Amino acid sequence: MALPLVSKMTGNANDAVVEYYHDDVVRFLVMCSLVWAVLAMTAGVYVAAELIWPGLGFDHPWLSFGRLRALHTNGIIFGFGVSALMATAFYSVQRTCHVPLALPKLAWFTGVAWQFGVLAGGLSLLAGMNGGKEYAELEWPFDIVIALLWVYFGLVFFTTIARRKIKPIYVSNWFYGGLIIVIAMLHIVNSLAMPATWFKSYSAFPGAQDAIVQWWYGHNAVGFLLTGGFLGMMYYFLPKHADRPIWSYRLSIVAFWAFTYSYIWAGPHHLHYNSIPDWVQNLGMGMSLILLAPSWATMVNGIMTVSSAWEKLRTDPALKFIVLSLAFYGLATFEGPMMAIKSVNVVSHFTDWTIGHVHSGALGWNAMITFGTFYFLVPRLVGGKLYSVRMANAHFWMALAGTMLYVLAMWGAGVSQGLLWLSLDQIGELSFSFKDIMASMVPYYLLRLVAGLIFLAGAVMMTYNLAMTIKGRPTVKVRPPEVTAYRVDS
Amino acid sequence: MMWFLFIGDMVVMLFMVLLVIWVSLMGSDKRINVAAKIPLQDEKFDD
Repeated sequence: MALPLVSKMTGNANDAVVEYYHDDVVRFLVMCSLVWAVLAMTAGVYVAAELIWPGLGFDHPWLSFGRLRALHTNGIIFGFGVSALMATAFYSVQRTCHVPLALPKLAWFTGVAWQFGVLAGGLSLLAGMNGGKEYAELEWPFDIVIALLWVYFGLVFFTTIARRKIKPIYVSNWFYGGLIIVIAMLHIVNSLAMPATWFKSYSAFPGAQDAIVQWWYGHNAVGFLLTGGFLGMMYYFLPKHADRPIWSYRLSIVAFWAFTYSYIWAGPHHLHYNSIPDWVQNLGMGMSLILLAPSWATMVNGIMTVSSAWEKLRTDPALKFIVLSLAFYGLATFEGPMMAIKSVNVVSHFTDWTIGHVHSGALGWNAMITFGTFYFLVPRLVGGKLYSVRMANAHFWMALAGTMLYVLAMWGAGVSQGLLWLSLDQIGELSFSFKDIMASMVPYYLLRLVAGLIFLAGAVMMTYNLAMTIKGRPTVKVRPPEVTAYRVDS
Repeated sequence: MMWFLFIGDMVVMLFMVLLVIWVSLMGSDKRINVAAKIPLQDEKFDD
């Protein structure tokens, strides 16, 4: 059967050459993501230990909590998370469009330059260059580099979609597209600043406006990168791996628009009882509660997709990770709106409950969906079997144990902190000092450290397992199928 | 100014609600089913 693509070199149909999907860049980004996962999680474990034994900073500024914590969060989000998102977006967009990746050299440049950007940005944070905005700590030269590379990412992605051979734009591409557009908008606006020196700048927004813009960025970075981007991953890799279409495709599209519409308003719940207008706080709370609907619709859609393939869960570690990630997604997206209710926020804000909530999402949802995807994707990229299924199964239980222990420890610590801080004696004074409350947190922090170590050990095991899977094997050549039913020209 | 912003927010909200309703009603079942199966038939391996 004739191949559908004609040689671009000669334009002669008889001289047709096969155009393969560009998967080497995907393989590179997956391996980078794994390296960043191990490095950034190690930094997280170290700062967890510092909260118990502050002497671990050794009076060296590079080892101080303030610098290592930013390294941990930036390494996880921009190193591990974005590399995984770029890899899976590049992998799935070409397949769902039935064309090889557009601008492959630009894709390579973006992927490689991103890694150098994360490395240099991490070193700048260790050196104390910090803009002071959470999850946007990098100083202005890095902000410009991030914006440029993000535009290149978008160029590769949207050009591939523009060149697609089939009419429908699959739902995962809507989520990846939303990720690219919204993160560009958030990053550029929130990073507007006046440079004072090469590595110091001041925000363009004054006072409370700066806080609103920062949490508009911060919350929607969680929304469109850590939620929307990874939902794109789920909507492609779950049906692919379960070998059945998504349970309700219509629901997935409705959930996309409802999600996009409600998420963008919810940021002010980070500023409850602060000096921003009361109606803005209430609007943030209301939209956070509405957000529960599209979030749970997505979770139900994912769970129902595997509902007729439960037998695979007994033997397939990749699917186990993906299904478990959906359960944690449901948990985190229920807890978030609850914490946005002002009367609950009185207890939870400024406590470790927030840290527990963030990690139920980061470990339970983001990391697990990525682990499941990588266990499926890497053997497929090299046309072989996973080096050790047993090791992957052990990793599954370690990841589950680590996440549960982490979340439970932080719930215990956070609720205790919130209630103790609110406790007043008979004459209306605080019953407990801040110092006494924090001193009583050591057992919880020890549990959190153990949880982090278990989770990190699992990630190291996975990195070894996948490295051995890929070792010495070239990337398999795969091309678009010869499907004509819904081609653009049909 | 506050009312201007508030009413503006509500207008955008109304637009998005209508968009969600429109999206949920558009598209035939046949088209939806075809799109849903895209990931299941998007690769061809060399023999």
